[in-house]
Amino acid sequence: MNSIEEQLWNYIDGTCTNAEREQISQLIIHDEEYKQQYAELMQLNNEFSSIELDEPPMAFTYNVMEQIRTQEASVPLKAAINKQIIYAIAAFFVLTILTVLAFALRDINWSSGGSQTTSFKMPASLNSSEIKSFTSGPWMNGFLFFDVVLGLFLFDAYLHKRNKPKQNDLYS
Amino acid sequence: MQSKLSDIELINQTLAGNQSAYADLVKQHQRFVFTLAQRFTKSREDAEEVAQDCFIKAYRSLASFQQQSKFSTWLYSIVYTTAMTHLRKKRLATDSIDDENTYLQIADSHGGMDANLAENKSRSYYLNIAIGQLLPDDATIITLFYNGEQSLEEIAETMGMEANTVKVKLFRARQRLKEKLERLLKHEVNELI
Repeated sequence: MNSIEEQLWNYIDGTCTNAEREQISQLIIHDEEYKQQYAELMQLNNEFSSIELDEPPMAFTYNVMEQIRTQEASVPLKAAINKQIIYAIAAFFVLTILTVLAFALRDINWSSGGSQTTSFKMPASLNSSEIKSFTSGPWMNGFLFFDVVLGLFLFDAYLHKRNKPKQNDLYS
Repeated sequence: MQSKLSDIELINQTLAGNQSAYADLVKQHQRFVFTLAQRFTKSREDAEEVAQDCFIKAYRSLASFQQQSKFSTWLYSIVYTTAMTHLRKKRLATDSIDDENTYLQIADSHGGMDANLAENKSRSYYLNIAIGQLLPDDATIITLFYNGEQSLEEIAETMGMEANTVKVKLFRARQRLKEKLERLLKHEVNELI
């Protein structure tokens, strides 16, 4: 059986059953001890409810938002780049490779290689000077430059990943 | 006049990229979060650090908030975990906080606000001191129940306990608070005599 105080707190908090509630309310009316303790606990309950909250410093919200902004600004490029952009770049390269492949396959003289000993022959129309002009053009230079940057970016990501466990070890 | 936006509206706006909506959300909850943090840290400086940390953590994981419970319940669980981690890190003796230093710090933190009140040694003044002398768990339950308007089930969710355990803890916390308050008032009366 719960103590009088426990019963009364349950009654005040509204955590007792309807039957218990009815019984306790009768006891409060007729029993002097219940009545006295109930009045005392109700006073405490009102005091507890009126406990004032502390006020944080004036610049609290500003400081929080400033920290969020600082952290967001220092997010590594890898996390900041939208994945859709990466997929689009990947799709561009795949498409380029497929187009080059399709052109190369189209120009191959398939009928000339009919013998059992499959000796691969370069297309007749393919001359080396034409290829040279294609590979030394500004587009190809740009393409190679982009590839080098992408390679460096991946290398940086790899080094970053490799160093991360070591940093975590330092903090733990 | 623009009405005050609800937590959910502010969360949706924040997730849509509106950072000022999150600032409003912080403003709405900062007093309670700060108070709750102070119940653990017992100092304003540490409480500020913990409270800021909580809001940053909440911002980072806002997208994972399922909206199945109240935002406040979710936020308070972050406060509880962060404050507990802070306590562990600081290796504070949580079983006895009645030392003189703590008493002075708490009295000072409330004294600043009540400086203009000539009769600041009222019952509520001592109640604030008494609550500061409680164990962090007891003070948290009392604060969540009375100031945070959280139900026993919500407090249980925040503190990772069973609702029945919270009910028993609340009962004991109130008893301890009552005892501490009576002791403080008795001491004050003796000093006056």
